[in-house]
Parts: sequence; C-alpha cells; structure tokens
Amino acid sequence: MSGRPAVAIASLVSLLAAGCGSGGTGSENALPGTEEYLSSPCPEVAVKPSGTEFTYWSMWTKDEPQGKVLQHAFDCFKEKAGVTVNVQWLGRKLLTQNVAPALNTDNVPDLIDQDISQIKAAVVEPGGTQGLDDVLSMKVGEGDRTVADVIPAAYYDIPQNKDKDGKIFVVPYEVLSNAWWYDKDQVTNFTPPKTFDELFAAFDRSKQAGRAAIAHDGDINFYNAYYFTQLATRYVGPGGLVKAAEDRTGELWRTEPGLLKSAQIVERIAKGGYLIDGWDAAKFPQIQQRWADGEADFLFVGSWGPSETREYLTKQGSDKKINYGSFQFPMPEGATYDIVEQLPIGFAVTAKADHAEPAKAFIAYFLNKELLRGIPTVADNITPRPDLDVPDDLKDVKAALDDPQKAHNLFMDGLDGLFGGTYVDNVFYPADNDLLSGKITAQEFVDRMATGTAEYWRVHG
Amino acid sequence: MVDLATPVAAGTGRSRAATGSPGAHAARRRRLFWPFVLPALVLYVVFLVLPTVATVVLSFSSWAGAGDTPDFNGLQQYRRMFASPSFQYSFVNTLIYVLVGGIGTFVLAFLFTMVLRDLRGNRMIRAILFFPNIVAPVALGMFLGFVFKFQPSGQGLANVLLEAVGIGPVKFLQAEHVTWVVMGALIWAGAGFYITILMAAVDRIPPDLYEDAELAGASPWQKFRHVTLPLTWDVVGVAGVLWTIGAIKIFELVFVLAGPGTYSPPIRSWTLGIYVFDRSFGTVGAPEYGAACACAVVMIVLVSVLVLALRRLMRREAIRY
Repeated sequence: MSGRPAVAIASLVSLLAAGCGSGGTGSENALPGTEEYLSSPCPEVAVKPSGTEFTYWSMWTKDEPQGKVLQHAFDCFKEKAGVTVNVQWLGRKLLTQNVAPALNTDNVPDLIDQDISQIKAAVVEPGGTQGLDDVLSMKVGEGDRTVADVIPAAYYDIPQNKDKDGKIFVVPYEVLSNAWWYDKDQVTNFTPPKTFDELFAAFDRSKQAGRAAIAHDGDINFYNAYYFTQLATRYVGPGGLVKAAEDRTGELWRTEPGLLKSAQIVERIAKGGYLIDGWDAAKFPQIQQRWADGEADFLFVGSWGPSETREYLTKQGSDKKINYGSFQFPMPEGATYDIVEQLPIGFAVTAKADHAEPAKAFIAYFLNKELLRGIPTVADNITPRPDLDVPDDLKDVKAALDDPQKAHNLFMDGLDGLFGGTYVDNVFYPADNDLLSGKITAQEFVDRMATGTAEYWRVHG
Repeated sequence: MVDLATPVAAGTGRSRAATGSPGAHAARRRRLFWPFVLPALVLYVVFLVLPTVATVVLSFSSWAGAGDTPDFNGLQQYRRMFASPSFQYSFVNTLIYVLVGGIGTFVLAFLFTMVLRDLRGNRMIRAILFFPNIVAPVALGMFLGFVFKFQPSGQGLANVLLEAVGIGPVKFLQAEHVTWVVMGALIWAGAGFYITILMAAVDRIPPDLYEDAELAGASPWQKFRHVTLPLTWDVVGVAGVLWTIGAIKIFELVFVLAGPGTYSPPIRSWTLGIYVFDRSFGTVGAPEYGAACACAVVMIVLVSVLVLALRRLMRREAIRY
C-alpha cells in the first residue's frame, strides 16, 4: 500500500527520465512542424484488415508528442481502413502494472508498446506475446515496399528480440541511442576523439579551462553502468557481457582481458577528477541541468539528452540555446567491436489478442513514411527508417546508427533485464558504482565481479 | 463485538428466554449475533486473512503473475533471499530505522514532554511540531532532495547554513550518508506525532503531583523520571508499538531520497518495503511475486517478534491515579 504514491511519482518522473526522450510534453514546446503534421492528409492503407477494431495500451500519455502522433495515425486508420482503435494511455510502467496482471485474465489488449528489453522481460518471458515475422512482409502503403524493406534488420533481427520459438516479438518505430553530448559553442575547436588519449586530452582541457569535464547523474545505477558496459562490449562484442554474467564460476571476469582493460579506463575517469563535484550526491536531473547551465563540458546520456536539457532551459526562462554536438566513445586500444548502442521501441501483439489481424495491419501502416515522420517532426526522436528526416541534434547519433561499420548492441548488452534485474542489483551495480566513484581499483572490480558472480550462481543454481 | 458476544459466552439466556424479561432480550441479541458479525467477518476474511494466507503460500513459489501459474519450489525463495546482498541490506537498514530511529524519536519526544508542560503557548508549539505529519512522505522526500542539495555553484539550504557557521558543505545524499539523512528526516517528521500522543497522556496527570514535586525541589529530569514516565508508561508502550509498525514498512522517503525516484535506489539504502516493491513492480522484467511474498512474510514475522518483545519489555503494573 505504501508503494502507491511512489508509483505515481515514478510514472510522473519517468516521463522526464531516462525511460525515453519524449521532448516537450506541452504545446508550448511543440516543434514547428507539429501543426503541419497533425493536419496532413492520411496515406492509403496497403493491408486492409477484415476486423473493425482493436485495443491498444500505450506507453505514452495522450498529451505527449508521441501520443499525438499515434492519435493522428489512429484517426487515419479509422478513415482509410475503417478500424477503430480503443486506446488506453497508460505511461511507461504499463507492462508491469497493467499488461502483466491483465495476462492472468481474458481481458488483454491486442497491441502494446515499450522498448525491447522491457517487453522481453515483462511479457515475452511468461509467454505473453506472439511472433510478428508475418508483419515484416506486409506492405506499408508505399507501392510494393514492405516493413522489411523500410526498416533495416539491425533494429529488429537481434537475439534480444526473439521469443522462445525464435520469432521476433517487437516491430520498432522509434529508436533510442546514446552518446557523449557537448555544446559546440562552449567546447570550441573540438573534433570528436578517435582514441582515448584524445578523449582524455579533451577532458584535461576542460579542467584547465576551469570547468568540470564530465557531468553525470550518479543516482541512477544504469547511468553509472554506461561507461563500463560501453567499453566492455567493444572488447567482448554483443552478448559478451551477458556471457560473463551467466558464467557459473565467475572466472570469465578474470580471464577475459578486455573486461579488466575497460575497468581500467573507468578507473582513470574516476581517479582523474573528471567528474563534476557533487555528481555522486545529487538527485537526477540536477547534474545534467548543471551541464545545461555550462558547468561541465561533456555529458554521456541517451538520445533524450537534448530534449530534456532544452526543456529545462525553456522552463528556467533561460535565453541560453545549446548548440548540441555529439560523438560516440572512441575505440579503446585492442578492442575489435565498433559498437553503437540502441534501444528500439516498438509494438508487440499479445498472445491472447482477439484482434491480432487489424493490430498487425496497423503496425505496418504506422511505418508508412507519411505517418512515421511524426516521430522526428513532432516528437523530436529517431525512427529506424533511414530515409526520414532526423532532428538536427540527433544527426550524429543517427549517422552512427546507420553506419554499416558499426555493430548495433542493446543498451548495457541487456544486462539490466537479466534474471529479473537481480544480477545487476546484487552483483554488478554495487561493484560498478564503487569503481566509478574510485573506491575500488579496476583489478578489485574484476575480482569482485568474479566472486560476486560465482556467489550469485551458487545461490541461484 | 465484545458486547454482542457476552450473552452467548455467558450462556444464561436459554432457559429464561421464554419467560420474557432479560432472557428474551438476550435471546434476541443472540439471534442478531451472526447477522451483525457476518458481514464484517466476511470482509475481514476476504480482504485481510485470505491475502495474508495467499502471501504465505505464494512465498513458496516462483510466480510472475503474468498469465503463468505459480511454480511451487519449497524454500527456494527464502534461501535466495537470505543469501542476497539486497535483502541483507534491506533487513539491516530496516532494523536500524526501527531501533536507532525509534530511540531518536522517543528521546526527542521525551525532551519535549519535559519542557513543553511548563511552556507558555505549548498547544501552539505542539501543533507546529505536528505539521510535518500532514505532508505526504513522497513530497517530503522530494523537498528534502532540494534542502540537502550539494552543488558548489548553488548549495541547498542545509549546506548554506553549514557554510554560514563555517562548516564546509557536506554531500548529504551520497549513498553512504543517505540512510542517516533519511533517519534525521524520519525523526524530525515523526517526533511531532509522538509528542502529541505523549502530551495527551501528560495532560491527564493531576497537576498537584507536579506541584508537589516542585515543592520538594525536583528538577525537570526528576519530574520526568518520577512523575511523567511512570504515569504515561502504558501510552509510551502503545506509541512504541505504533513506531515499530510504522518503521518496518518505511518506503517512500527512502525511495525518493536515496534514488532518482524513478528506479530503485542502490541496494545499500534499501529497506524491506523497497525490497518488496522492487521484486513486485520495480524491475524492468516480470514481477517476482514469490520473492516479494517471501520478504513480506519476513516483515510480518519481524513486526510480530518486535511488538511482542516490546510489550514484554514494557510490561509493568499499571499505576492508577
């Protein structure tokens, strides 16, 4: 019972927080193209379903930009296909608070959405979704082009998006990624570093200029994890961290040299005094706001960084405009996997859905260029389609995602969704937090991970 | 319920029922016993007893509550729970809140009862001391997040005050310190409530006892030790039980102050309440109701043990006055 208020707060705050970059939520923050998009004519449907309605439970709220974009698409679907969509705008916590309990009943939604990690952990594991491979061959309403033609496979054909039968369960329509952010007007004469020495040289220049190098909200465990996991997956490749977590003896943490090397770089960040004073004693989003105020030069967060910090400055009534620049982590020495992290957000259809057919037809319809362009235009976010406009601030991130040389990997290698989060909570986060705050050395970190992992598996069998 | 039950337990009415008078009255009351008791009993059983039993039963299972059926696996949840650092932190922190927080709150409350009685405007002071109780703990937590802010370019109120008296700023919300910040907040917020209860008891003490003590030259401490405490002992016991129950389910303040408010805070600041929440709704994955139930059972046992121990400790001959 005592959980209730916190849940309310949690869902409230999660609109702003790391769950997703939603951009402004009120009309005062609406982007210039919003009106034009919402009044634009509806594209024709290519797949006309026989069903006339379906139910959709949404991770967005009605007034969020994504909510408006989806509502426009629903209106179009009604107009062109005659299908009524019964929407419930539930917000980010819908999977654990609404969908999972509903799966015990016969009153389930047909269509749901969230990021791949969360849908997998909360709904797919207990067998709540159905395969969506058939959607890939559906036409999106642009001649003969199908879903598979317009969405590159790297966004959905990944191990974390497969159910027990090897079928995909999410068709993505928005993608989150992450990057180092800086204000081009503050950090001048700067070119994105190619090596870690160049990166640290840039950090040192910030310190010499009397500013902090890195702003970082240290009260979010998985923000703290980004540094290590970004680096480690460049050594061990996609799935490599999960393998280390699943090693029953824990010895992989000691025998895989890339893990120690990654930890050594994090130790260098921790002990070099690069993190802004107070990063470990603040409440999110205080520190990223200090970055927005110019107290630090660099900030590593997701692609929601610009929209959150811009919204903060707007609400402060500040005249300051940040000229957002971004870059990916350089390749550490000896690493072989050029990683760009992604978190696709998309639709899933429940296993018990009564109206799966119109729901699937809608998934294909929403990926039509004319509808999907609402995500960058109205919601200031990235889509998986390579041929849509990209918000200016996110152009570098999108370029990294579209770069064929880079391997896509899920945020944190999907470590946070493993085993109900118990592994990260009990083993990884405490050690990683201590590493980032300089309490332990890189060697102590891998030792702790090795013994911690072995102990975890001794208990969990 | 006691009144209704009395005639049944006494069993006197049966033979006299036919003759009218008190017996008939008792019989009527007996006939009305079940119609009156049943609705309350049914509600109590359905909404309290059965969920509690279900909690105990489910604690021996693994269940996501998402269309799957509970998989009964004996003591596995308990084994895993007792071995996990997150539970160990939760358990120890909860005990710290109950014991240290309890001692702190009651010491503060006693101090006030010593001086408040003799103060002019004490009713007003009592009302003010009670104020933190009317604020929801979540709001309080978010507010204190600003008060305890550490930011060299613009400190929170607490650090501004510390700097004003020449002590440097403190990183209050660091993971190592946050338990003690929450403790301070709890004592600050909770003391007013217990002062109100204790002062209500103090008000019932005949003033001549204090006058007598004063004539004998007693100090405030002696008056407290020999008059106030013995005469409010039973109320102190009840207040202690209330505190224990309240402290074991501490959740919101820690959740909001120790973490970002969106996700669970680092495990070193967890309480049993957070553990239960995290296993039910806090993960990105499917809920683990079995694990949550196991911890809930531990909470029930802990409350029972602590309350029994407290009552035993507080047992005295009641002083009548």
